[in-house]
Amino acid sequence: MATSKSMKSGSVEGILHASLHYRPKSGEQSDFVRADLVFTGVDHSDLSYEVRVFLNNPEAGEKTPCEQARGYAGCFTIFGHGGCFGDLGHCDIRSLPKGPHDLRPAHPLMPQTKVVEITAALNKILQESEQGLTSVTLVPIAKTPRRADYAITAELFKFEDMKLRTYR
Amino acid sequence: MATRPSIRGMTDEQVTQLRKSYAEMMAIDDDRGYSFFAGLHGLPLPIYCQHGTLLFLPWHRAYLYFFELAIQDRVEGVGVPWWDWTSDESHVRGIPASYAVERTPQDERNPLASAEYSNWPQDLVDLVRDRAPGLISADDPARTVRDPDSPDELPSREAVSRTLSLMTFEDFSQSLENLHGAVHVWVGGSMSAVPAAAYDPIFWSHHSMVDRLWYLWQIGPNGVLPPENLLDVTLTPFPMTVRETLSIERLGYDYAVQSIE
Repeated sequence: MATSKSMKSGSVEGILHASLHYRPKSGEQSDFVRADLVFTGVDHSDLSYEVRVFLNNPEAGEKTPCEQARGYAGCFTIFGHGGCFGDLGHCDIRSLPKGPHDLRPAHPLMPQTKVVEITAALNKILQESEQGLTSVTLVPIAKTPRRADYAITAELFKFEDMKLRTYR
Repeated sequence: MATRPSIRGMTDEQVTQLRKSYAEMMAIDDDRGYSFFAGLHGLPLPIYCQHGTLLFLPWHRAYLYFFELAIQDRVEGVGVPWWDWTSDESHVRGIPASYAVERTPQDERNPLASAEYSNWPQDLVDLVRDRAPGLISADDPARTVRDPDSPDELPSREAVSRTLSLMTFEDFSQSLENLHGAVHVWVGGSMSAVPAAAYDPIFWSHHSMVDRLWYLWQIGPNGVLPPENLLDVTLTPFPMTVRETLSIERLGYDYAVQSIE
């Protein structure tokens, strides 16, 4: 549906913005008991970072309060590997298994799946907005070793797919 | 049976004994020593730790189990205390005082405050300083550093309650790992990235808390086993399978809020 490459840049480089429409038919607002945003193929090879998720707030940025009133739905943290410390190719992810006799464990840098539960935030939007959910804005902040270096990052946050998943 | 105490509930004597065990391990350069164990999680290569997979909880349980046996080889009966980063005290003071003070009451360097990267060759130290400024100390010998965030930014009890209410191993593991990652980056400095984190002595108490939460979930109404296909997976480099991590009673430890002697 959306990847880190396909999503539009937000107001600041690094902030990602995607149209995402969800509006159950009238009377079906409680059609789900839980709603998740599921990110797959998330990169964790470099420094750590946090991704804040805002719904219906395309202007969200680093300073936007993490409050439901601002569309804040949750966040996830990537505890990063800090870069490659081997020789050339050491951190190239090999696809496994190469065959039925390849019992090696998965490469440590295999991309991760991250889930942000957005049930409360999505319910609030569905109750308050006729259009329902219209967009998702992702604010990735580098969690560098030194707090003074925290900043929105355009490099660290890479992922393959983002899906809205609801459960009955 | 070793009891892992809450840091907050530890007596002065327990803190002294824990410091003694860490200090003695830090003085050993071979595979009984502190740096050897810390290096299994990060640098020097290979990096063995499991993150972002369903082996996260079992692997770190095995890791703490072998580390705890090693500190008990130095001081009998000590357990890795757990740091309750959801407590009111943590949300006001941040890192517990016994881990934060630079000097002990005996005016020695506090081995719970920092550790040396004694098994990193100088070229690795230089590379890490270049790639990730602030991950290790700027001066030699390289030591762990911290740059903690505001205490009220630590994960809340409500966040932990939501995690404990999850009903599948996948959901629980992923949610707890996310809280765990938030605490790593909250401590900052060496704890903020995989290669350097386990050298910081607070690492072990952070993971004792994570392990305790897994235990509480296991014995609660929602606790279920990891997926069947993982149970016989070996947790390299430890001679232990996922199945063998499932009972802390079998591993010979438990958790206590406070030990009264």
